[in-house]
Amino acid sequence: MTKGVKICLAAVITIFAISAITAWIIVTPKKGKTPQYVEIVQENKILYRIDLVKEKNHTFRIEYPDGGWNDITIENSRIFVSDADCPDKTCVESGELRNEHFPIICLPHKLVIRFSEQGVQNENKTTD
Amino acid sequence: MKIKRLTELSLLTGLALIIFVVELRFPDIIPVPGVKLGLANIITVYTVYKYRAVETFLLVLARILLGALFASSFSALIYSLSGAVCCLAGMLLLRRIIPLRWMWLCSIIGAILHNTGQIVVATAAVRSFAVLAYYPILIISGCIAGAFTGICAQLVINKISEK
Repeated sequence: MTKGVKICLAAVITIFAISAITAWIIVTPKKGKTPQYVEIVQENKILYRIDLVKEKNHTFRIEYPDGGWNDITIENSRIFVSDADCPDKTCVESGELRNEHFPIICLPHKLVIRFSEQGVQNENKTTD
Repeated sequence: MKIKRLTELSLLTGLALIIFVVELRFPDIIPVPGVKLGLANIITVYTVYKYRAVETFLLVLARILLGALFASSFSALIYSLSGAVCCLAGMLLLRRIIPLRWMWLCSIIGAILHNTGQIVVATAAVRSFAVLAYYPILIISGCIAGAFTGICAQLVINKISEK
């Protein structure tokens, strides 16, 4: 084993260990109540802020200028992408949004669905 | 000699494309964008150790462009390209340090670099750091997939050199 190989091997093991720990932290949801507010963001612009508790069950479609679309369903205070026109449908298979560190992402449509700390409430206060 | 080289490279490109198209039929193991086995990279790793840098680069470029055409997924093209450029640059440098016997290690580092390139472009495209949450999972899956393709390539090289 040459010195170069040793360094590379050590680097790979370190990176793998750090990733495993980080992934574990990210995937494990925080204890306590699940966050209430959801943001739907595209290219850093917030399209929708949704209060999951108050929102009725329904499905709505987000369409994009290039013709693509995502169907987003809200059901019993849960949110998920129910259908999309992209070929891989990774966003649909990701299932419902469970975790504040782990958003639903649709890469072809540059869409991010994530929990947010402060949501509709703050906005309502400013408009009231 | 030149024509022999060209034929070998075309054959390898064809082989990589066949593997790529077959892998498209595999169901997703984990629904995270970017997590896949990348079996076509068996050919990439093999070429890195057996051919010149320019030749390897052209082979991978041809495979990615034709692969995008066959899979009709041009939106994913930018991610494949950015990943491949990082991966190849890293592996072509590392082949000077890492001997043939440790090829799988080079393949793992290549996979990590591939995922790093992809995540950087994805973060820029989505303009949100939310994408970074996928990075650790991509690295873990990349290490496993990279080790697998690396070992496969190593077996191929051993078999060929036996003859």
